[in-house]
Amino acid sequence: MIGIVVVSHSPALAEAAVALADEMVHGSGPVVAVAAGAAGGFGTDATEVRRALEKASSPDGVLVLMDLGSAVLSAELALELGPIDVPVRLSAAPLVEGLVAAVVRAAGGADLDTVSREAEAALVPKVTSLAEHATPPAALVPAGESDASVRLTLVNPQGLHARPAAQIATAVGGLSADVAVEAGGRRADASSSLELMTLGAGQGVEITVSAVGADAAQAVAAVREMVEAGFGELEAS
Amino acid sequence: MGSLSVVEAVTVDVLVGWLSAFRDAVHEHGAYLTELDSAIGDADHGANLIRGMDAVMAAVASPPEATGDLLKKVGMTLVTSVGGASGPLYGTFFLRMATASGDATSLDGPALLAGLEAGLEGIVARGKAEAGDKTMYDALAPALAAFSSSLDGGASLADAARAAAGAAAAGRDATEPMLALKGRASYLGERSIGHIDPGAASSALLLDSLAGALS
Repeated sequence: MIGIVVVSHSPALAEAAVALADEMVHGSGPVVAVAAGAAGGFGTDATEVRRALEKASSPDGVLVLMDLGSAVLSAELALELGPIDVPVRLSAAPLVEGLVAAVVRAAGGADLDTVSREAEAALVPKVTSLAEHATPPAALVPAGESDASVRLTLVNPQGLHARPAAQIATAVGGLSADVAVEAGGRRADASSSLELMTLGAGQGVEITVSAVGADAAQAVAAVREMVEAGFGELEAS
Repeated sequence: MGSLSVVEAVTVDVLVGWLSAFRDAVHEHGAYLTELDSAIGDADHGANLIRGMDAVMAAVASPPEATGDLLKKVGMTLVTSVGGASGPLYGTFFLRMATASGDATSLDGPALLAGLEAGLEGIVARGKAEAGDKTMYDALAPALAAFSSSLDGGASLADAARAAAGAAAAGRDATEPMLALKGRASYLGERSIGHIDPGAASSALLLDSLAGALS
């Protein structure tokens, strides 16, 4: 049976999550070791993660579930602190849902790959059952009612990937205008780099930038300038 | 080494002087670091680094002979005592610098630079940060570039470290208009704009302390 490590900023959060998961298997589940808290407060400690990895170590492998950002950093650093002779997988799964799913599946004797997949898919039932409550998209500039708009073609090689999306979000974020970017029939709030990236707009794609508000013209002009300059990614000619 | 001579070899004692200066700097500027962190993070950066550097100075009270052993002790102490994301990040920085420094009892300019660069590579590997993400990278990367080009230009270790400290401060200030793309600040999205990144600010203190220790 694989072992499981829980890395959390909070000992109380980790212990409760483990107890919740154990209710599903009544003590017949995998070894679940906890590394939570640091220096007496919220935080994570890579040496504690290391100790937890040793405690949960199994020739079948160890799955590591983590909460917020620095828990991931500490888990990665723990792997760097010395060789570990069993397979270890850091899971992108949400902590609570992922842990419950992983404990149940591991208790059934599934291998590391299977348990890891099960944990990563643990949000699916929640997302499916709550589909009708899904958060509506942010209020956007109504189509055809903008104070300023422009159609542009993405000329930089990668299109609206993370960095150009962040550049646009930064530029319009400080302005007094609601700005939308439309591509391929989908609309995104230009102040959200995540939404812009979900447009999946690559090189050569036409986008429409529209804005309402006092700074609408300025916002559209700023985006136009960045797009036409290829977000600084074009080779100097 | 006479008391008036310029530092040209970075011994364990010089490194301890650097760490001690950094400890003093985080004490002096701890409230400022926490204030920056309260704007875009979880308001603990100053307190975390004060706790971490106090623990480091206690741990190196009787320093080992090799620079690598000293730096490893620093890294491990930060990992166990800091708590926030700066623990694994600064911890990784010193642990990678330790590996690069190895058994050497003193480091010349290029060896010190190689150690610092290994540390920065560690931070990149850990945090997946790139230029412009509003992180400590934005202070450290220009600092090491300045250190490197100063050494190449024949500058003394002290002058190279001063150039690095100046570049780190400029890099810190340049994080103010950036949109945070990493760490807790990235949850804030555009609200992170207009605040200096606390990690870049503490990194600038680290380089300023190095310049002080090498002068």
